[in-house]
Amino acid sequence: MTAEAAPVVAAPIPDRLDLLTRLSDRLNPILVREVQQAVKGRVFVLTVLGALFVNVIIALVVASNYKGGATGGRGAFDAGLATLAPLLLFIVPMQAYQSMQSELRGGMIEQLLMSELRPLRIVAGKLGAAMVQFVLYLSVLSPLLATSYLLRGVDLPTIAVCLSCALVFCVAATSFAIAAALQGMLPAMRPIAWLGMAFGLGSASLGMVGYIGSGQCLRDVGWLLRSSEFGMVTSAVLCGAIAGTALMALVAQAYLAHTFENRSTGFRVFLLLAPPLSFAWVYTFVQASHRDDVVPVATFLLSLLGIVFGIFMVSEQQKLSPRVRAHVPRNAALAACSSIFLPGRDRGMACWIAYFVLLAGLALVLWPATGRGFLNMPQSFARVSTLTLAYAAIYLTLGKWLRGRLPETVVFNHGARFLMPLLVVVGCLLPLLFDVLVIGGVDNWHFGHLLNPFWTIDRAVRDSGAAIRGLVWTLGGGCLLVQLPAMVRGLLEVTAAAAARRAQAATVAPASAVEG
Amino acid sequence: MTTPLLEVRHLSRSYGRVRAVDDLSFAMARGQITGFVGPNGAGKTTTMRIAATLDIPDGGDVLVDGVSVLVEPRKVRQRIGYMSDQFHPYANLDVLQYLDFFARAHGLRGRRRQQTVRTVASFCGLTGFADRPATGLSKGMGQRLHLAKTLLHDPQLLILDEPAAGLDPRARIEFRALLKELAAAGKTILISSHILPELGETCDSVVVLEKGKRVVAGTIAEIQRSVQHQQAVQLRLLGEVEAAEKFLATQPDVGEVAVDGDRVRFTYAGGDEEMAALLARAIGAGLRITEFGRIEADLEDIFLQTTKGNLQ
Repeated sequence: MTAEAAPVVAAPIPDRLDLLTRLSDRLNPILVREVQQAVKGRVFVLTVLGALFVNVIIALVVASNYKGGATGGRGAFDAGLATLAPLLLFIVPMQAYQSMQSELRGGMIEQLLMSELRPLRIVAGKLGAAMVQFVLYLSVLSPLLATSYLLRGVDLPTIAVCLSCALVFCVAATSFAIAAALQGMLPAMRPIAWLGMAFGLGSASLGMVGYIGSGQCLRDVGWLLRSSEFGMVTSAVLCGAIAGTALMALVAQAYLAHTFENRSTGFRVFLLLAPPLSFAWVYTFVQASHRDDVVPVATFLLSLLGIVFGIFMVSEQQKLSPRVRAHVPRNAALAACSSIFLPGRDRGMACWIAYFVLLAGLALVLWPATGRGFLNMPQSFARVSTLTLAYAAIYLTLGKWLRGRLPETVVFNHGARFLMPLLVVVGCLLPLLFDVLVIGGVDNWHFGHLLNPFWTIDRAVRDSGAAIRGLVWTLGGGCLLVQLPAMVRGLLEVTAAAAARRAQAATVAPASAVEG
Repeated sequence: MTTPLLEVRHLSRSYGRVRAVDDLSFAMARGQITGFVGPNGAGKTTTMRIAATLDIPDGGDVLVDGVSVLVEPRKVRQRIGYMSDQFHPYANLDVLQYLDFFARAHGLRGRRRQQTVRTVASFCGLTGFADRPATGLSKGMGQRLHLAKTLLHDPQLLILDEPAAGLDPRARIEFRALLKELAAAGKTILISSHILPELGETCDSVVVLEKGKRVVAGTIAEIQRSVQHQQAVQLRLLGEVEAAEKFLATQPDVGEVAVDGDRVRFTYAGGDEEMAALLARAIGAGLRITEFGRIEADLEDIFLQTTKGNLQ
């Protein structure tokens, strides 16, 4: 080696490290590295300089137009917030996206996974870095925001609400960007992920700039602060953003985890937590007068959530991977209870049913607490909900059957997820084509359209559609019954794995006792 | 009897119809350097990735220090350092920051982390480059940084996939010296490379793969003995090459004879006693011999003899 030792290496290590170094030891390594990289990067320097320049321009414009009065600072605040929006909703998530992409391209992510960092910690580090960048950008714009307060027209609660929302949206957008970047692990998904993310973040930023720039944002926040619905709205926004961030983090974690590691349990726990948490929110933050409207909507949205998750759960590989099998609880009862949380499409179907049992149970228990009561809900709503569920059961069964015909690799899990919505399209289109080509026109609903959920539900909801309703419910129930042996098989696989682990532990224990 | 540090048991892995690894078994003792040799597509990288917990076998298992990569991958990761054939350092980080990041990722804290980073940087000859951007290093220094990162958590087993690929001769020699130092420090090393003479100089043993199957495994001396059913012998003469050729053709245990300038090479099935007698007879026959000796098969010869060049 010809180069001399760099001063930083030549300097002795002090016996007691400074506070900053000791504090940094407590931090997520990804957070430390991302911030180190970001502040050294050109993008950060350019955006900070750009934001400072815009700051000066806004300050000059505001100063030249200032005529005193009670709302002098509103324009400055709007302009400052509008400058901050693209930085937080586009630049920061974009940097997280680029960082994740470069780690994937260089195989760096594998090196990280070889360390003690778990997938969720990697994602958390990147979200933490987004928060640090939020603070850095905010500090750049803080003189302007402070001036806007001093010029009056914007009070401290308004500033606090706006900045809190900005932080929440920034983190949510970053988690979306990280999840999108990880789709790039599948080469076919790379351009779609890039387009989706650029379009999503770009339109969100532009929309937000327009919303803030028009002055509507401050008007809405002002109304919200005076309104009795402040708790409901802010908690809804906050809970939605947290749930979205958690879901995106789970998606990112699933992509970072090895193909054969357990990618399902997090999602299934998320799904089964959604109904109790949603109802808890309703009964905590929603005023009693609004519950008659909010509870049915929440139940319907939760049903849709269950159907979307169902598509993913029933399109997984069938069997437990060797790694998951090796970590099944040894206790037979515990293993049986954990079965619906473990990967595999048979157990996924069982989890889906468990979810709807939980949702219906919670709705039955909690709905009477509303003014109208569960049993007095509109008949059409009950019919639409149950028919939708029946169709979900029919199509998930068909999708699961289709997944079973495909090879047992991860690629075909994704393939089946694309094919399932196509099944619905085919179920709708084929009878229509038959009508057009054979009968000569689409005149009326007939039993050939039974697999068209939209038209059939429309007919079945009417009082005259009792026969159709009965048929759809029977078909849906029949599909679930047909799935019963498979679900039992899924349970038995877990209990067998637990028994194998117990047997292994029993053989290892005497051996160690002899060695001891 | 000590358990092997790395034990590959009936490992199989397919990608679609291609069987990348097929019922592969071998073991590595502690403190050994084992060369992993095979044509492109033989299954070397797949096996290494499975051993590094980055891939999963369809069948079989790999045990590192008795711990299964299938059952307890996290425990395995604490015991191994994997140096992949790709190295793309982070932008906007210097060498020391890069190592510091990985030290943090391995859970090292405070003084210990700083001390480890400096020790490893110094061991790998990176001290003079500590404040250089990691992306601005030469290929050779980049590989040193890659190796340094692999050493930070003091793993027992190092899995190095083509570490010398693309290095110039000096960098290769320096890198080889580093590996020898690591072996002397008690590390067990599994290394794949296409530069066979280098492996021959560095490794205690080799495993030769072809089409995912083990062709031969053992120490280089053992393999030499097993592949050389008939030893090769070389004579060097002062003139009289044709006479030597005729003489050898009449001798017992002598197989094929080939002439190359002033050298005559032949295969010989006899033992040491018979060979001494042959030499005496040759001298007695008036051949003026300046050199006489066995030709030891090197790793390249072993590789060519044991593999058929089948690609998949």
